[in-house]
Amino acid sequence: MKRTIRNVMLTLCAVAMMAGLSWADTLKVGVQAPITGSYANEGQGIENGVRLIAAQINAKGGVMGKQIEVIPCDDQGTAMAAAICAKDLVNKGVSMVIGSYTSTCAEAAQKTYFNAGVLQTSDGTADSLTEHGYWTFLRNSFPNSAEAAFAANYMVNVKGYKSIAVVSDFSSYAAGLAEATIAEIKKAGGNVVTYAKIKADSQNFTPVLTNIKSKKPDVIFFAGYYSDGGQLRAQQKALGIKADFIGGDANDNPDFSKLAGSSAQGAYIINVPSPDALPYDIAKTFIADYQKTYGMMPPSIWGLMNIDGMRAIIHAMEHNQSFDTKKAADYLHNMDKPLEGITGSISFAKDGNRKGGAYVVKEIQADNSYKIVHAQ
Amino acid sequence: MKNLERFGFPAFIVVMAILPNLLNSRWQAVAITFLIFTVVALSQDIILGKAGMFNMGQALFFGMGAYITAILNSQYGWPMLATIPVAIILPAIFGVLLAGPIVHLRGDYLLVTTIGFNIVFVQVVQNNLGGVTGGPNGIFGLDSISIFGTQLTSQISVYYFAFAVLLLTLFVMRNLEKSKAGRALHYLREDQLAAESIGINTRIYKIFAFALGAGIAGLAGTVFATQYSAVSPEAFEFIQSVLFFSIVLVGGSSIPGILIGVFVMFVLPEIFREFATWRFFIFGFAMILAMILRPRGIWPASFGKIPKFLIKESNHGA
Amino acid sequence: MDIFLQQLANGLTIGSMFALVALGYTMVYGVMKLINFAHGDMVAASAFVGLTIYTQVLGQATSLVAVIAIFLLAAVAMACVGILLERLAYRPLREAPRLSAVVSALGASLVIQNGIMLIWGPQMRIFPELVPQVYWDFGGVVISLIQVIILVLSLILMIALYLFVEKTRMGAAIRASAIDQDAARLMGINVNNVIALIFVIGSSLGAVGGLFIGLYYRGITFNMGWQYGLYAFIAAILGGIGNIPGAMLGGMLLGLFQAFIAGYVSSTWADAFTFILLILILIVRPTGLLGERVAEKV
Repeated sequence: MKRTIRNVMLTLCAVAMMAGLSWADTLKVGVQAPITGSYANEGQGIENGVRLIAAQINAKGGVMGKQIEVIPCDDQGTAMAAAICAKDLVNKGVSMVIGSYTSTCAEAAQKTYFNAGVLQTSDGTADSLTEHGYWTFLRNSFPNSAEAAFAANYMVNVKGYKSIAVVSDFSSYAAGLAEATIAEIKKAGGNVVTYAKIKADSQNFTPVLTNIKSKKPDVIFFAGYYSDGGQLRAQQKALGIKADFIGGDANDNPDFSKLAGSSAQGAYIINVPSPDALPYDIAKTFIADYQKTYGMMPPSIWGLMNIDGMRAIIHAMEHNQSFDTKKAADYLHNMDKPLEGITGSISFAKDGNRKGGAYVVKEIQADNSYKIVHAQ
Repeated sequence: MKNLERFGFPAFIVVMAILPNLLNSRWQAVAITFLIFTVVALSQDIILGKAGMFNMGQALFFGMGAYITAILNSQYGWPMLATIPVAIILPAIFGVLLAGPIVHLRGDYLLVTTIGFNIVFVQVVQNNLGGVTGGPNGIFGLDSISIFGTQLTSQISVYYFAFAVLLLTLFVMRNLEKSKAGRALHYLREDQLAAESIGINTRIYKIFAFALGAGIAGLAGTVFATQYSAVSPEAFEFIQSVLFFSIVLVGGSSIPGILIGVFVMFVLPEIFREFATWRFFIFGFAMILAMILRPRGIWPASFGKIPKFLIKESNHGA
Repeated sequence: MDIFLQQLANGLTIGSMFALVALGYTMVYGVMKLINFAHGDMVAASAFVGLTIYTQVLGQATSLVAVIAIFLLAAVAMACVGILLERLAYRPLREAPRLSAVVSALGASLVIQNGIMLIWGPQMRIFPELVPQVYWDFGGVVISLIQVIILVLSLILMIALYLFVEKTRMGAAIRASAIDQDAARLMGINVNNVIALIFVIGSSLGAVGGLFIGLYYRGITFNMGWQYGLYAFIAAILGGIGNIPGAMLGGMLLGLFQAFIAGYVSSTWADAFTFILLILILIVRPTGLLGERVAEKV
């Protein structure tokens, strides 16, 4: 019995290896995105965008004569599913992967892509994504540290807050943004009076806020998601804490104002501009095409950033006249002239981070609309 | 029944041995998870079914094994296979330490306490205690198992690894049934007072059941970490324990019952993936219905070697 | 000191919500010796039913009468669901092994939770701001109108329940059924009616708890029932399960414990501390704080 099993196993291993060598005559592009789950609309936005740009490129003759084949995989926004997707896409022989939406899912898949030499471009903003030294990873958004520097400058130099309280949850995105912001505030000479962590979705934040109240901060900077942020803002008001409230980019959602109710007015949110505010011609054309094809606006700027990442990789391959992923990465890490992108000019630092930043501060008005009060 | 044991069991092994070659990669993944969950459900059966202790925290030991393998591999560079002994022994020791103070508790209190252990465990790994658990993300990019220098990277090889672990577990379970410890557990589940009065140290045997169940679940954890090359806190939430708890009770505390239980509770929902939003709704009804129609499970445990006419009278306890 | 008092006020608010939900667990357990795992999901369902009553039935009216109507209608609706639950999922299993009823309860929990998801969707829904955001500042301790409403209404309901169980004939029937169902039956008590009554009371108190969650936190999700159900269940055990004043005491103590742990020790480890407290209490005093030491056949 045991011998049979071993023989079967060895045979099958051999078969598997042979399959890996099979010839590819299309350029396979994987999409790893939360197509179902809590972030489904963002994930579908990424997939739709990639399919649209792939169709546009294919219509013009493809990439160096090869047609693009899009292979999607649903990571459901969970780390485990992301790990499975990574193995699956690598087995299917993709040479690049677009996505995922959340930093956690991108990070869960990173090492698998690195081991297989598959390029990965994600809008995940957690700084840890580029700290492993994987040459395969290219960030098409701006890292938390860029947002942190902008937020710290706004709080310390523009608004002149004397004492700052920072709150985050445990996710790698939120904790990373909070820690980076604290470091930047200290660098700018500001004073962080407390750093508190909350459990996401736990609803009752009054014990933490009560502690914050005793520190008498001028402002509360919240680095987590809108579903907690709205409740945090409401409970802050209910406890009579007079401080201003500034939310990080993940608070930029209409539900924030609904949750906070009448307390929403006057809260600030820091984020990159929304798709309709992009001034570039290439953006206007692409968004018009997107609306024509899918009958709606792209859900957010994040999907467009992913498409810029994909365009950059294809640009590098065409420039090199080679599908070699390592050569493409080398080119992108040393670009002398940035590529014109949908979300602004795009170029990468040696560690795979996108260079630059384009943040704005929005203030929530009485009718829950935004007013841009400060821009980078 | 006898015939079924004689022919059904080898038939099952043969079918399972050739199965992965007939499946595509998605169903291979489902089949591997089926094997792993069966092992965990069998380990849960030792504690819940055989010893009769209301344990709703089995995902704790499962997760502990997975995390031990992941931490030793990613942080200390141990080969995956070398982590197996630790992934069995450490959960078993924890099983003894945790069970020690609580085995005397009445059924429902034990249930809540074990839920508590499970939730504390998840919070510990989420809060990244000692900086080795990777926090809410978990640990990714583990090595694959290598035997004699051959890397078992393909899904099929992971399948056979999981299958070997299942066969080992079934072997342990069969021996347990026939051993002194197995009989002792059976008596104490049927009637603790009577078991004590004939000189069985119930406390020791209950703790033994916990330790054995924890060790096997830990081993299953290693296989789980191998399959995904990753571990993450959400895979070991106490809701998973609820699943294992339900598998044993819906299936019935017997090996065929547990296989049916895992199939019904895990593979069927995978088959009906298209009805993703409806499946747990229907599934809840199915659980209620199964209990109303077969309160002792779909395939309840037989009473071993005791003649039928003797057991007719005593149908209390379960 | 004002920080301490503020945490005390917060803890009592949360605690009274736990207590209301815990009563549902403890009453069912007292008579049926069954952990009604579906109770937490009933609490969640009540918040969604309340939301629908507000938008569909009352046309988004925000008067005091509208709020009272939401509470009454949601309580009636959940009482009906409670009776249905008992009839379909628990009554057929009354003679079956204890664990079968536990699995049935878990199944019922899945049905209700996913039923909410099918009807109202998987995303977070937002409860209207029905109670105006009014605050009073007592020398640094801020109390909001909604906190006062939750605390006062919970206390009234709990006292009313206590008097009902201790002073009325129906209350006596409940107590008798909790001690010995067979004996109660011999005394001419219709135990089926008593159990139905318990589900009506427990579910409508849970419904009030669910609406408090909606009004206080505003954001409601289909799977939030597990969290509140688990805490409330711990509260019931802390106080001694089956014991009505025990559930009230347990809820209040758990609310205070969580507020002080999160406030003074660590909000990150609050869950772990809650369960360590529970485990310690069970080891030292297995029947809870007010529970009687019952010698039960194992």
